[in-house]
Amino acid sequence: MTGPAPRKGMIQSVERASRILKVLGTGTSRMGVTEIADRLGLAKGTAYGLLRTLEAQELVEQDPETDKYRLGPAMLQLGNAFLDNHELRARSLLWADSLASRTGDAVRVGVLHGTNVLIVHHVFRPDNSVQILEVGASIPWHACALGKAIVAFLPEPSRRALLGLELAPLTGRTVTDPAVLEEVLVAVAAEGTALEDEEAIVGEAEIAAPVFDDRGHSVGAIGVVGPVERLLPEGRQAAAVIAAVRDTSRGLSRDMGAGRVGARSGATRR
Amino acid sequence: MVAAVTERADNARERVFDVYDATMIRRWVRGSADEVAANRDFLTQLDAAIGDADHGINMDRGFSAAVTDLDATSDLPAGELLIRVGGTLIYRVGGAAGPLFGTCLRRAGEALGDAESFDAEGLWKALRSGLDGIQGLGAAEEGDKTIVDAYAPALVAFERELRGGGDGASASRKAAEAAREGMRATVPMQARKGRASYLGPRSVGHQDPGATSTSYLFAALARSLDGGR
Repeated sequence: MTGPAPRKGMIQSVERASRILKVLGTGTSRMGVTEIADRLGLAKGTAYGLLRTLEAQELVEQDPETDKYRLGPAMLQLGNAFLDNHELRARSLLWADSLASRTGDAVRVGVLHGTNVLIVHHVFRPDNSVQILEVGASIPWHACALGKAIVAFLPEPSRRALLGLELAPLTGRTVTDPAVLEEVLVAVAAEGTALEDEEAIVGEAEIAAPVFDDRGHSVGAIGVVGPVERLLPEGRQAAAVIAAVRDTSRGLSRDMGAGRVGARSGATRR
Repeated sequence: MVAAVTERADNARERVFDVYDATMIRRWVRGSADEVAANRDFLTQLDAAIGDADHGINMDRGFSAAVTDLDATSDLPAGELLIRVGGTLIYRVGGAAGPLFGTCLRRAGEALGDAESFDAEGLWKALRSGLDGIQGLGAAEEGDKTIVDAYAPALVAFERELRGGGDGASASRKAAEAAREGMRATVPMQARKGRASYLGPRSVGHQDPGATSTSYLFAALARSLDGGR
């Protein structure tokens, strides 16, 4: 396998070093020099030089017993710095905690990154059960309530562009027809909250609302996620959760500098 | 003592006529519960890497409940028994695995209908309906790093052995082998369905817990058709 030819104005060694980090960032995670060189189509000596340089910066480290390379501690610091610099995440911490204790459900905060929602904050369901942190997870926007809440309030051209791309099914209930999804977005814009009913994970549901900045743009979303029978039963409990999510997103939007509700425009029927 | 004699008689009849009834379903569910219980921590460990670390606990809880329920019911035909077990799994396993495995067994039970007995062909059709149920819910194809990666090749192997003149016991042995291979083949895959897909390339290099559970169920099936050996 050989890598792509470096584009004009790009520095080849930086590009190669970045690809090494990305390869080590897959689940295989521990690799020898030869394996890395083969994967990236590099001479073994070149790969070794790059790895030694990255190791000196603590971006990779070598297992003393197996001689295999893995990502280094400096990567964690960089990842944390990315999250710390994220304004929405920083401002959502208290809001997310209070939403989790008010509803008894797990809370996630996400931003749109390409066609996926990147989870930037996650508060566990407050029931002491074993849960895995989903910060850094990436979920196709059309399959989750966070994504629908964000996209419903994007400017028309961006929304249209996203609806025009491939909408892959994640479960049998994922909405993959752009016309149907557009109708869903119109409803989300009218109601101010988005629902997900087993569209990303079988057995799981999510209720989310958009977060706006001072220009009235949806910069992200906050929502509760959990077992479908808990989050979307018939009747009052769901209404209470929807109200809690809506209140939280409004408070968080105010913290982000958003003005009155009327200043925003969402998806409308054409 | 009487039970042992009855079971030996059942096994002899099954081997001669390649015909099965509710007693085989009971052996299968019990065997599956044993497999899941023995591998509970391993399943949870697999799930901790790419899921939410509860697969082993959930499956064990659900299958234990199914066995308890089985002991409390008698005289149900095979199909109804499977539908009942499926319902218990949906309710007691929870997460994504509950609806997926539960719907699978329900559909398999519906396919068996209310007949007192069924042959290997009937079992194959029931297993096929079970896979349809899973794919209807999860929309997963082979290569997505899910239950389907163990189940689909198992079903193909079962049918091939049957069409080649094999009986239910040999077909289910072939199916169990194929499920195990399918399970192992999930390791290098990047997940495209389920929570593991949220991790993108980070899901590579880990065995899928759902495919692993599936291979246990097929191993238990093979043993239950092989006279419980």
